[in-house]
Amino acid sequence: MTTADDTRLAMQGTIEALTAGDGSEPVVVNLGPQHPSTHGVFRLKVTLDGEIVQDAEMRIGYLHRSMEKLAEERTYTQNIPFTDRIDYLAAMSNNLAYCLAAEELLGVEAPPRAQAIRVMFAELQRVASHAMANGTFINDCGAWHTPLFHMFRDRERVLDMFEMTCGARLTTNYMRIGGVAFDLPDELLPTLESFLADMPSRIADYEALLMENEILHARARGVGAISQELAINSSISGPVLRATGVPWDLRKADPYCGYETYDFDVPVGETGDCFDRFLVRMAEVKQSLRILRQVVDRLPDGPYLADVPLHARPEPGEAYRRVESPRGELGFYLVSDGGPAPYRFHCRPPSLINLSALKDMSIGGTLADAIVTLGSIDIVVGEIDR
Amino acid sequence: MTARFDPQVAAEIVNASVSGAARVDDGLLYLDPDRLVQAVQLLRDSAQSDLIFLCNLTAVDREQHFDLVYHLQSLDHNHLLQANARLVDREDPSVPSLSGLFQGAHLQEREVYDLFGIRFDGHPDLRRLFLWDGFPGWPLRKDFLQMPGQIRAGLPGFPHEGQENAWPVPGSMPMRPMHPNDPQPPGEIAVGDAESEAGA
Repeated sequence: MTTADDTRLAMQGTIEALTAGDGSEPVVVNLGPQHPSTHGVFRLKVTLDGEIVQDAEMRIGYLHRSMEKLAEERTYTQNIPFTDRIDYLAAMSNNLAYCLAAEELLGVEAPPRAQAIRVMFAELQRVASHAMANGTFINDCGAWHTPLFHMFRDRERVLDMFEMTCGARLTTNYMRIGGVAFDLPDELLPTLESFLADMPSRIADYEALLMENEILHARARGVGAISQELAINSSISGPVLRATGVPWDLRKADPYCGYETYDFDVPVGETGDCFDRFLVRMAEVKQSLRILRQVVDRLPDGPYLADVPLHARPEPGEAYRRVESPRGELGFYLVSDGGPAPYRFHCRPPSLINLSALKDMSIGGTLADAIVTLGSIDIVVGEIDR
Repeated sequence: MTARFDPQVAAEIVNASVSGAARVDDGLLYLDPDRLVQAVQLLRDSAQSDLIFLCNLTAVDREQHFDLVYHLQSLDHNHLLQANARLVDREDPSVPSLSGLFQGAHLQEREVYDLFGIRFDGHPDLRRLFLWDGFPGWPLRKDFLQMPGQIRAGLPGFPHEGQENAWPVPGSMPMRPMHPNDPQPPGEIAVGDAESEAGA
């Protein structure tokens, strides 16, 4: 038992003593729609007995843009920019998942160089997204922006690389059906080399700052834990699932873009609590850097875009393709009726579905723990509402 | 690589216990909507199929009927099955809820209810998810905002492909306000004509 555990138990005991049998009525508190802990317009309605959460109910839809309907009257290529705006913190992963689904419908495959570039940008996106996720999570645990802005320095460097490649930092619109939009600029690889050279010492700094941090342990350990069975039954994926100890990573299980040829591990947690989710994300950044090293070392030459007509009409049929986005299983289900636009365009959003067990994670904990739990799931509201 | 679980084998697993609840049509597994819960439970609990992870749940409006689409995954055997359920009643479509089997179906069924108006019987908390109560209509249905003259949302063809594929249909009102980037109706500006005139 560490000091943090002792502190935690003592706090719990005090709270129970204060709230037991005093005849008080539950209080309903709205977190959001504008609240720093919700990372977007998301409302969490919690029913409190003193400090203890009795019920947690989410109200969403504030950012609903009806993308699935809009996509039905745009061509397959015109829909790529929508996917950026579904999950705006992992635009590359969304581009990739959509393009893979469209490629399956059209029966085309990206050339080897395009596949390597896709892996490179998907992993850079994971580094950037996990920097954001971990930084804001530690904010929710009570750090006042210091770790966040340290991590934002790394994210800035990734976004600079995006900008020099495709001109955009957030909504990249970089992948195309059959490849990527532009070849790598000359200055990208030197920038990426210096990024890869710097990152290990940066990660060592974060670990020195955070891994033994007593406040972080007290706030996150044992909080919001769920079992493996509940996580699988709730369709939870990504770092939240892996924190419970299930080594389920679609880059290993259902490889795409040649992930089966790269050497990397799937980090898993043990207890499935908020701290394990944080640890899994920290470990995944290291694995992403490993993959990036391999991509740079054996980047093939050749075309970066297959010859796919802009006005493509896929054969009638359907395709479901998924990728391991920073938040979990991101799938696109496309139905074609032979027309120029998708007959049905559906995005399987990991952010929304990872909230399926939010009640189980928060009920019985304190209100402050519910905020830490929500931060540890790493939601992106654009993807929840679409 | 995730294998595709053979729909024939899945149909045999289901039909062995609930006769006639599953059929395979054109390589796709169709489950009887009335016995959906028993069928999916068999697929989930059978050691051979072991489909314990509900990846994805959505619906498709096929104009004559609705197709509910379930993607079920086995983590141990690493295979994926797509199961469909066809709802022929367009007026009041309803299907048993899978939320008793999978907690992950809760939010996805609410989403389908919100956007398609398909009721899930037995769902503990069936309310709209994104839109507000009282929102008129079900947006992802193909007849949502249907205009007179059989004009509906969608893109019938590329503008250069000729009269029958033109958008909007000549002589009709456009579905929405025209944007400068929208394709022009054919006859006014045709891609081929402009080039041949320049050449001449």
